[in-house]
Amino acid sequence: MTFWNRLRFWIRKPQNVILLVLAVLLTFLTVVPLISLMRDTFIVHSSEIMSVRGSKLGDFTLFHWRKVFLDGERSYRLFYQPFFNTVIVSLASSIIAILLGGAVAWLVTRTDIKAKGFISTVFIFPYIMPSWTLAMAWLNFFRNGLTGGARGLVTALTGWVPPTWFSFGAFPISVVLGLHYSPFAYILIGGILKNMDANLEEAALILKASRAKILLRINLPIVMPAILSTFLLVFSSSMSAFAVPAFLGTPVRYQVLTTQLFRTLNGLNPGYGYIMALVMIVVGLGILAVNQWYVGKRKSFITVTGKSSNISYMRLKNLRIPLTVVLLLLVVLIAIVPLLSFLIESFIMAPGDYRPSNFTTLFWVGEGREDIGGGEPGILINPSVYQAFWNSIRLSVAVALVAGTIGALAGYAIVRARGTKLSSFVNNLSFFPYLLPSMAFGAIYLSMFAQPFLVLPSLYGTFALLVLIGSVKYLPFASRAGINAMLQLSNELEEAAIIMGVPWRKRMTHILIPIQKSSFLSGYFLPFISCMRELALFVLLVTPANRVITTLLLQYNEKGWNQWANAINLLIIIVVLVFNTLINRLTGASIDKGIGS
Amino acid sequence: MRKASLLALLAAVLAILPAGAADQALIDAAKKEGKVVVYSITSRIANAAKAFEAKYGIKVEAYDLKDGELIEKVSREVPGNIAGADFVICQDSGRVYGQLIAPGYLVNYIPESMKQVIPTKFQNPLIFQFINKVFIYNNEKVQTPVIQNVWELTEPKWKGLVQFKDPKQEGVNANFLTMLTSPEWSAKLEKAYEEYYGKKLVLTTKNAGYEWIKRFFQNGLILGNSDTSISENVGIKGQAKTTMGLFVFSKTRYEATKNLSLAPMPDVKPFAGFMYPAFIMMTKNAKNKNAAKLFIEYLLTPEGFAPWSKDVGSYSSNPNIPINKEDFPVSYWEPRLVFEDPAYLFENRADVEEFVNTISAR
Repeated sequence: MTFWNRLRFWIRKPQNVILLVLAVLLTFLTVVPLISLMRDTFIVHSSEIMSVRGSKLGDFTLFHWRKVFLDGERSYRLFYQPFFNTVIVSLASSIIAILLGGAVAWLVTRTDIKAKGFISTVFIFPYIMPSWTLAMAWLNFFRNGLTGGARGLVTALTGWVPPTWFSFGAFPISVVLGLHYSPFAYILIGGILKNMDANLEEAALILKASRAKILLRINLPIVMPAILSTFLLVFSSSMSAFAVPAFLGTPVRYQVLTTQLFRTLNGLNPGYGYIMALVMIVVGLGILAVNQWYVGKRKSFITVTGKSSNISYMRLKNLRIPLTVVLLLLVVLIAIVPLLSFLIESFIMAPGDYRPSNFTTLFWVGEGREDIGGGEPGILINPSVYQAFWNSIRLSVAVALVAGTIGALAGYAIVRARGTKLSSFVNNLSFFPYLLPSMAFGAIYLSMFAQPFLVLPSLYGTFALLVLIGSVKYLPFASRAGINAMLQLSNELEEAAIIMGVPWRKRMTHILIPIQKSSFLSGYFLPFISCMRELALFVLLVTPANRVITTLLLQYNEKGWNQWANAINLLIIIVVLVFNTLINRLTGASIDKGIGS
Repeated sequence: MRKASLLALLAAVLAILPAGAADQALIDAAKKEGKVVVYSITSRIANAAKAFEAKYGIKVEAYDLKDGELIEKVSREVPGNIAGADFVICQDSGRVYGQLIAPGYLVNYIPESMKQVIPTKFQNPLIFQFINKVFIYNNEKVQTPVIQNVWELTEPKWKGLVQFKDPKQEGVNANFLTMLTSPEWSAKLEKAYEEYYGKKLVLTTKNAGYEWIKRFFQNGLILGNSDTSISENVGIKGQAKTTMGLFVFSKTRYEATKNLSLAPMPDVKPFAGFMYPAFIMMTKNAKNKNAAKLFIEYLLTPEGFAPWSKDVGSYSSNPNIPINKEDFPVSYWEPRLVFEDPAYLFENRADVEEFVNTISAR
């Protein structure tokens, strides 16, 4: 009797119902795929009948494990070397992102540098661009003669021919990924620095601590959790980045795990690929564990990040103008110049010839010529471009709505039920998709949903499948935003309403959501942006009829139809920026106020 | 006078005949379906689709896919009974036979009007066209072929100057490499080595085929993402050194518009490149069966093949379709190029791919 009463009492609290539903749903959508992935490492797939001698489809085999880990030189080339390359590149890009993003964040939030609004907006451009387009820009500028053909713009302008390590391989991959993810660092570290109480710095100053000591002993420990979060995000994102190493590494055969993953999943040995995906997930979990252990240890610092009324900017004095100029140049260099290069390249007829006579509007509005790209019409009059764009937009909107709403509910429930086992279980589960490498995640969903699964019919080839995987993959953004929003709210507000007998739905729509409007909105906004420029997640799942703009873009890239590709790339960025501005105007939320706030 | 006009009439009738041969009942049934979906490995399908739409008023959804991608899609969609392509134009014999034809996902269809026209050996599975990739060099500075023997490509003088599409990205390239390890081609490679150097080849691998692949790759071979960009990289004017590549012959069609210098070398020993078939087949669960049949038949006529036949490097299985004036027929290429053997590919492709993966960059 008391048990039933307790259950009835428990179930009457909305947070418990939400948590219960989410726990079941997320187990189904993330843990089951993981188990399915593990199973896939032990069976023979249709394309592996060629290599696993004398086997039938679906047979149990240890072949993949043996080949990946225990086959001497072959395993080294197949797995170990790409693995070490992945670690090196991911480490390097995390460091670059943290140093660059952190420095800009400090300058913008703690000093009196000029043009803050401009810097803050433009610095996140590289994150909006699909990551491999920065790689294309790198090639536009720095390619040396290695791949033959025209040299890059830098050589054309200065005569300097970059050495091969500068043009291809680990160095450019790290730099490009670092630049692409430095907005993460900027947003996360900036979010903390912005709210940091300047009293701490002043107190130290009064005690005659040196500038360096203040930075090391006060600022650094305070932003350390943010740095670690950035590290976690950038490292796992870099680890699962596919297109950048594919473009910058292939010419010198610099392999990382994702390029091997793509090759094996699309080629003859998907079994190898599933094992590599598993390795990547394990590494991601390891970093997450370290991160949580550290954050747990330093719990006492969290109180410091509360809002302070005393925020004073450090005066840069003589350095103010020079630093502003340097920062502006930097931002323009990494965010605007690539756009210009896309613009120019989309108007060029013969490659590498920048004389005015070689400019053409063919690739934007031309009917298409038989002798160039098989008569493909220009992108503005090309029905397949419009179809793909429309698919991308409705997909991103759908994903944003689903992920954002679930994330907000999750945030509410996790915070309200804080301390319970169920709450921390759902909390971890809702972050877990972040650690699944996009391409592997796509591959698992492909094999899970290609046939009817439990109550679900076969979803392959449907738009619903894309929405489903996008929503799960980007739930971490939304649930983080939801949790942050709820953590900043004090309990009393809702309790007052409860005492007044206001029903739960009304409490949410009339009190909680309006107050934290911009935080919740960023939970919708990040999935939208990420979805607009996502490639690896969808590349295996789209069917020709529901392909999205990024897969179309990759196709143009792969065919070498660079003018169309550059033009589409520019369009994606413009569309995202228009949305960003619109949402910003309408609601005050924007991506640069996103994750960290 | 009269005789001449009669001849002209006769010629006109003959020219129309194969094109207009489609059965009226089929046309009516196809029009009733009103639509057809095709997955294709050649982008020029879009042009053929436009012409087909104009002729019959049947809507075509044509999708251009990579070879491996197409195989993956079909092997998911057909067994799952998901409506995808009604018919496909696909390549990569080893995988197409093993993964699509053997389980019955693709069904052969030979139009009645083509049974007497297309040579029987091209009928099962029905071949749409042959495509060739040949050694092509930049002829801006030198106008005569820059190599005579493929073993020259393993010498320091060509280090870092040769381009080839990444065999991991396109199955037919891996097929070509695999065929080189066959008894036939490794013997030919061994002989070519002896003829060129006047001494016996010392092996560090299984046979001369593997040996050539290893040395070819180790000699700074540049792997590209697309044949189009390889053709630009090789052909662009004003390069310090003469470059070359092994890529799709039809890319030389961009020579004029993109201002490139490209010339093929058809007489390199023991092979000048490779040639592979593209198959045209219906899917087992085709929804628009009649429209698919009509479009297949159309593509096998001179009219339907026009988007391909106007350039070099495309060879219809229909011998009545003339090839480009600057090109040679398949019979010319046959002794010069490496062809695919599906059975050998199915057995050995995985080994060769693994071997290629272990060759280090230097």
